[in-house]
Amino acid sequence: MPLKILVTAKRVEDSESKIRANPAGTGIVLEGLKYKMNPFDEIGVEEALRLVAKHGGEVVVASIGSKDCHEQLRQALAMGATRAIWVNHAGPIDQLGVAGCLMKICEREKPNLAILGKQSIDDDQNQVGQYLAEWLGWSQATFASKEESLDSDAEKSKTPALKLTADGAWVTVVREVDGGLETLECKLPAVVTTDLRLNQPRFSKLPDIMKAKTKPLEELTPAALGVDVTPQLTVTSMKAPPARKAGIKVPDVAALVDKLKNEAKAI
Amino acid sequence: MAITSTSPSFMSQLCFGTIEEDLLLPYPSMGEAEQETMRGVISSLESLLKPKEKDFREWDAKGELPPAFIEELKGMGLFSLVIPEAFGGMGLSATAYSRTLQEIAKYDASVAVTVGAHSSIGMRGLLLFGTDEQKQRWLPKLATGEMIAAFCLTEPGAGSDAASIKSTAVRDGNDWLLTGNKLWITNGGIADFFTVFAKTGGQADRGNITAFVVTKDLPGVSIGPHEDKMGIRASSTTTVHFDNVRVPAANVLGEVGKGFKVAMKILNSGRGGLGGGAVGGMKKIIALATKQAKERVQFGKPIADFGLIKQKLGHMVVDCYATESAVNVLNHFVDAGHQDYAVEAAITKVFGSEALWRTVDEGLQIAAGNGFMREFPYERTLRDARINRIYEGTNDILRLFIALTAMNEVGSQLKELGDSLKGLFDNPIKGFGVLSDYARRRASLVTTYVKRDKATFTKLHPALSKQQVVFEELTRDLATAVDRVLRKHGKNIIGKQFASRRLADIMIELFVLACTLSRVSTAVANKGAAQVTKELEIAEVLTGRVRRRVRRHMSMIDDNDDELIKSLADHALDAERYSWDNV
Ligand SMILES: Cc1cc2nc3c(=O)[nH]c(=O)nc-3n(C[C@H](O)[C@H](O)[C@H](O)COP(=O)(O)OP(=O)(O)OC[C@H]3O[C@@H](n4cnc5c(N)ncnc54)[C@H](O)[C@@H]3O)c2cc1C
Repeated sequence: MPLKILVTAKRVEDSESKIRANPAGTGIVLEGLKYKMNPFDEIGVEEALRLVAKHGGEVVVASIGSKDCHEQLRQALAMGATRAIWVNHAGPIDQLGVAGCLMKICEREKPNLAILGKQSIDDDQNQVGQYLAEWLGWSQATFASKEESLDSDAEKSKTPALKLTADGAWVTVVREVDGGLETLECKLPAVVTTDLRLNQPRFSKLPDIMKAKTKPLEELTPAALGVDVTPQLTVTSMKAPPARKAGIKVPDVAALVDKLKNEAKAI
Repeated sequence: MAITSTSPSFMSQLCFGTIEEDLLLPYPSMGEAEQETMRGVISSLESLLKPKEKDFREWDAKGELPPAFIEELKGMGLFSLVIPEAFGGMGLSATAYSRTLQEIAKYDASVAVTVGAHSSIGMRGLLLFGTDEQKQRWLPKLATGEMIAAFCLTEPGAGSDAASIKSTAVRDGNDWLLTGNKLWITNGGIADFFTVFAKTGGQADRGNITAFVVTKDLPGVSIGPHEDKMGIRASSTTTVHFDNVRVPAANVLGEVGKGFKVAMKILNSGRGGLGGGAVGGMKKIIALATKQAKERVQFGKPIADFGLIKQKLGHMVVDCYATESAVNVLNHFVDAGHQDYAVEAAITKVFGSEALWRTVDEGLQIAAGNGFMREFPYERTLRDARINRIYEGTNDILRLFIALTAMNEVGSQLKELGDSLKGLFDNPIKGFGVLSDYARRRASLVTTYVKRDKATFTKLHPALSKQQVVFEELTRDLATAVDRVLRKHGKNIIGKQFASRRLADIMIELFVLACTLSRVSTAVANKGAAQVTKELEIAEVLTGRVRRRVRRHMSMIDDNDDELIKSLADHALDAERYSWDNV
């Protein structure tokens, strides 16, 4: 049975650019920032592509944001996704709004699987996948990981880590939990969120970047989807963590113990 | 007024004192769609190349890129950059191609040279001069990297004087029999497709050269060993030998006997790629050196706090911005179908390769001892940077080319004028009726009573009015200098290299300044002065620097030590050593 998989490609600040809170403390300084696809989403796209390479089917990628997020959608298309859905929304949006839009997209597209990043590296909320599964009434598996290591042959041969049962009705997901791995079987349709060690995403070949330019990209809006994305959450202030003070050198253990006891009052 | 195939050369016009501002303004920018594509390309290249810093160091030491990595480059599509989509390539514009090389050069120059020699020169002749049939035959294979291309002009006895090559092709029925030896051929060891230049008019007929496509499968083609080089060590440089190779007539590129023009056209259009590589090297070093300067503590402070370190960094930034501006303008010329850009291309190559050298050298100085250690990329980048001043025309030869070509038009108009110019400079207004176009332009330089034609910018943003005044003054200085030098030396100017070099240096400074002002002006217009304060500072610094340098060159046209310097050189040449050893 050919699969249809919905994946997401959120545009996030590149963790290598300098992130600073703005002077008013209302957000971050946007000037000079670089952006990229949320790395967990990238892993999701990769996993979806491996699954359809094995089982056949199509990968549909969605992103919510201003026109800038076309860059991330095109990246997913260049990696191999079939088509893109852009929810045009420039203003603020919170996890409920995002999950709402994705729910409506899932109702329209009826994928067998929705693979999302476990969180996005800008806000680190880790909620959208869970909301989405709950609202759709689908099974869910968060923090999907790979049993083998990222240096394994399975990874090198680009074998999907998510396994479908022979009848195609269930997906087996290995989850990363504290101190070990847990294996779940989920009935499809299901929502899976990716952890870091699920796979190593491919990078696009340059000719595929050119080809991606002509792949279909559909524009929607929250209103067209019937979703009210007015945030229920507002950021009241944002500030940088206090700068760390320089450390000191202590001559010996006795001095260390003394300082810990009497100055730091830690012991 | 848009650029067309008949647009004049900016620098030829500047030699008359005419500022063809429409060639530069507004400063070109990539369209939104192309920018998006380029961001994709950049991020893919980062994924491919960034994790390999250690490998690059190792490959540099070994002096070779491993075959598996070349395969990776092929798989990535890096040999398809400039090939039209109809032939299986990416069809990048000159601007996007140059930007791609810039990105590669940020990681490793050997890789940039390998990719660049293929696209910029190796198969450029096929792109520019190939028939549809020839393109159909080879471009698809060149796009996948099934064939890698090399450009074979240089020979043991023919470097700068490329027209003196000895390789010869003799007609034999439907074929040509090609014999000769080529030296220092980039990609020689990995190429399957060679653009080869050979004499086709017998040994006596110097200029009669033809360009051929020679594929490696033809019997009689052989490749020499890998050269052990100072820099770009991992790129392949070899000799290539042709021993009575039977080349079908269908492999001739362009017209028989017009090969020298083919070679020059190829080299011209490849310069934007080299410029892009230079910008990449500079950006890399600026990123490294700024971090290093903040981390390294001496005398209780990060060395970044010291004036002399800031002085270096400030100049590095100005050099990089200026080079990037010229490279972008040049690439835009190419993309817009401009034909007469050889001087501007040569200027960009000379300025870019020297700005790169200064930047890497100063960056290494900031890192000092660390910079000298192989563990860090400074020394490799410095070694790699050096070749840019040598190949694709040495900067010395290109300076002569810049001066002589840009002045050519002034010179030919001067000749036509003959006597009508006499006395003009005593009284510019006198005799306007008989003055030709040249004289009118010339007159307008020396008098402010006449409304000059295009002697000023009219579209630069007012935020740059001070810089504009300086540029216009210096333009008049250039035109005056060209006029003076041509009058003084006439056609003997060809032998007056000191004088030509001075003019070339003035021209280089002015073109780069013009491109930079165009860029800053357009930035101010688009974003408002408050958003581009740093760019305005760059414009101010560069203008001051150019003004001082041009003034110095100008003053040295008449007040110089040229004859003494020649005399000392002759003395050393005669002695073949330094003559004042005191032990
Ligand atoms: C790593 C590397 C890769 C190369 N790749 C290629 C390639 O792919 N294909 C190819 O065809 N060639 C290639 N070359 C050759 C390169 O283009 C030549 O080295 C270059 O053109 C200069 O020639 P030359 O080294 O013989 O110097 P020469 O021409 O011997 O010049 C020596 C010096 O004399 C100066 N000089 C020469 N003539 C004059 C003059 N009339 N007036 C004033 N000064 C003068 C030069 O500027 C230079 O300083 C490569 C070279 C190197 C080192």
